[in-house]
Amino acid sequence: MALNGERAKIRHLLRRTGFGATPAEVEEYVALGLAGAVDRLLAPEQVDDSAVEAILAPIRVEALQDRQALLALWHTRLALTRRPLLEKMTYLWHDHFATGVRKVGNPSFMLVQNETLRAGALGRFRDLLLAVTRDPAMMVWLDNRQNVASAPNENYAREMLELFTLGEGVAYTERDVKEAARALTGWKIVAEKRDPQDDNPYPTGVVITPKQHDDRAKTVLGRTGRWGDEDVMRIISERPECAAYIGRKLWQWFAVPDPTPAMIARTSAAYFADDTSIRSMLRVVLLSNEMYSPAAYRWRIQSPVEYVAGTLRMLGLAERGGKAFRDTQAMGQVLFDPPNVGGWPGGEAWVNSNTVLARANFANDVTRIGRPGQSVDVAGMLRAVGATASAAQVVDHLLDLVVGGDVDSGTRGVLIEHLGGANHFNFAQAEKAGTLQGVLYLILTMPLAHLS
Amino acid sequence: MPYDDDSFASRPLDRRTFIRRGIAFVGAGAMTPPAFLRAVFDEQSLPVSTTSALTDAAKRVLVVLQLGGGNDGLNTVIPVGDPAYARARPSLAIDAASALPLGEGLALNPAMTGMKTLYDRGQLGVVLGVGYPDPSRSHFRSMDIWHAASFEEHAETGWIGRLLDATKHEQDSLWRAANMGADEPLSLASRASFVPSVGSVPAYVLQTDGRLPREAARRTQGYVEIQTRQAEALARQAEYGGQLAFLSKTGLDAYQSTVDLQIAAKGYKAAATYPNTPVASALSTAAQLISSDLGTGVCYVTTGGFDTHGNQSGTQNNLLGTVSNALLAFYDDLAVRGRANDVTTLVWTEFGRRVKENGSRGTDHGTAGPVFIVGGGVKGGLHGAQPSVGSLDDNGDLKFSTDFRSVYASIIAQRFGVDPKDVLGQSFAPLPLFA
Repeated sequence: MALNGERAKIRHLLRRTGFGATPAEVEEYVALGLAGAVDRLLAPEQVDDSAVEAILAPIRVEALQDRQALLALWHTRLALTRRPLLEKMTYLWHDHFATGVRKVGNPSFMLVQNETLRAGALGRFRDLLLAVTRDPAMMVWLDNRQNVASAPNENYAREMLELFTLGEGVAYTERDVKEAARALTGWKIVAEKRDPQDDNPYPTGVVITPKQHDDRAKTVLGRTGRWGDEDVMRIISERPECAAYIGRKLWQWFAVPDPTPAMIARTSAAYFADDTSIRSMLRVVLLSNEMYSPAAYRWRIQSPVEYVAGTLRMLGLAERGGKAFRDTQAMGQVLFDPPNVGGWPGGEAWVNSNTVLARANFANDVTRIGRPGQSVDVAGMLRAVGATASAAQVVDHLLDLVVGGDVDSGTRGVLIEHLGGANHFNFAQAEKAGTLQGVLYLILTMPLAHLS
Repeated sequence: MPYDDDSFASRPLDRRTFIRRGIAFVGAGAMTPPAFLRAVFDEQSLPVSTTSALTDAAKRVLVVLQLGGGNDGLNTVIPVGDPAYARARPSLAIDAASALPLGEGLALNPAMTGMKTLYDRGQLGVVLGVGYPDPSRSHFRSMDIWHAASFEEHAETGWIGRLLDATKHEQDSLWRAANMGADEPLSLASRASFVPSVGSVPAYVLQTDGRLPREAARRTQGYVEIQTRQAEALARQAEYGGQLAFLSKTGLDAYQSTVDLQIAAKGYKAAATYPNTPVASALSTAAQLISSDLGTGVCYVTTGGFDTHGNQSGTQNNLLGTVSNALLAFYDDLAVRGRANDVTTLVWTEFGRRVKENGSRGTDHGTAGPVFIVGGGVKGGLHGAQPSVGSLDDNGDLKFSTDFRSVYASIIAQRFGVDPKDVLGQSFAPLPLFA
């Protein structure tokens, strides 16, 4: 399907760059026009999100000590944020620099990493890479805190080259892994208990121990010097293969499954023109013709986090964010707990019998009758917008809310029949019989509702 | 209202046929929900095959247990007699006195008492030094190679998936293969075979709000109908990258498989005490499927945590003990059901680890390691040759002695009666793994 008209394009843009948009958000971004909407998304610092931060502040305090609170904090943020692209990019980097709380243990380390990823999400890739290299959670996760001159541990160096910057076997050799590992030796985490009762000391930074740092010359990607971590990250981030690796990922997350070499060259040019700027690459992608081409339309299978966050957001169920990790877990994903350092495989791997049932069962749960805060009051929602006159009006309003309206007439017919048919609809009866709740269940479980 | 409650009357109709006919029917342009949809609610009327009616060959089951992260083979099957081993592992070497002897200078990790029992019973075969040429030390690449049994980049099918496709004509149950867990491994990816993934049997249902029973039934009905309609949206495949048809087909198969499972699972009770661990509970679910009438021929279980770069010993011993105790309980359970000889379990990991320990009392990524074959038809004991710790490759890693694909080939040929070439694309010398 072609994306005809600016409204359709902006809705598509919001599906990709955020986690489901409320009707108010759709109007807000439509009023800005496509270029204005992209500008707004790329400048989150200009959007006041203090009301959301005020809601999150007390959860953050708990999250320093408790894994469930840590999950509640991010799920609630995803359901409420007014800076959708910033969150989408934070989520992308979490998947990219995948780190798991199971090994890291201390939730405050994971929280600090999450905040580091958010702070650097749209900045220079070089800075982000160095921040991640020195991130305490990452140093535990990939053992770099144990990497010392006398006995190098090459875990971080290997995964950094393979998964974070260049791609498996691209432009580097086993020798580069070993030499880069030597350059990263000697770093230690500094953490302090802010309260004697703390089980989980807060990481305040990292320090280098000169005796444990290998200060001799190394040759990394063909360049020789007495390199330290900052040098290595600079050398790597200056490689065209690194720009291509990150650029490809951005095209795939936001636009099309198979970016061409010419498209990747465009993001690479933006990357190098602006000192490894992630924001500049994103601007190229989001303003490209390819972004709005038929090949870009609704091919991405939403991850459980995206599906759940989008549903809670669109239905006004942020309150459910506190336990949303149970919902995503049943669908095969828990934030801060990727399957391994490669992140979530994504795409079709999200879909198997177990996970489609879990998605349907989540849709059932959020449309149960009479559980305020945990499930949505469909009748109340429809009354508030005056969509009560006919079965078609109800169905079209809900379809527009969840999937932006685009659905085949056969499915639309089934939905209208669920409400008793075009000729026998009565709003009060439908409310009493539970079919208003039921029709939203059917929309949330449509295959189309899992695509973005 | 489009339906009356009494329209859910029983109507014997094979559900497989129902799905296929359903798709054809919608494809013909029908608008109103047809009668076949009602048959789906008539769970009890369906004919169910019984295991006892199956031939011996058809009763054979393959269970795969994947140890994710790269298990350290040298501290699993330990060359206790080799001084070079102890030298390479100043803090991690396990001595002969505490390890569980297998003979020929080799011994099992002390935590693996369950598998030692299976070994002593002649139910455990240990294939030594399993790997492949030009080994990758990347978890992802190496796992893909093992899963796909191919060196092709971005392989789309796994070796078991291709085995399922090759034998699809013999048995067409939705449950002929099952993954115990949320994520389907590449091993099971196929061109034409649905594989259900099941976390736990009781949770494997399509829930509907129970407060209004009539509406609950209609939710299920509407779910099936919309999936059916969107499955037929194949014409629009190009527009949605093919994902719409894929999602809806999976949704339909998933629903149908829940109906099958809940019928078949009635009456299972474990005949052995399983430890309270995720891997044991996955194997217990596998036993439940195997002892049902669903015709399950493959079960896949994944467990992880073997990437022991630091402080390896406690972690690895724990994991190996957990796996080993779970396997013993599984085979005790199967023995009571008279199925222990039907069920062959393959235990593998993507690579072993560096011979020399690192500075963190751990080990980095390495190469070859042991594979275990348990149960059905297995010739117990040691197979193949233990790679020498004294003769390593340029990277300080073990040289493999047996190609993992010849282990697969032996299973494919000797347990499934399929030509390994049809699955692996080339021939491999079979190993004498089975009696």
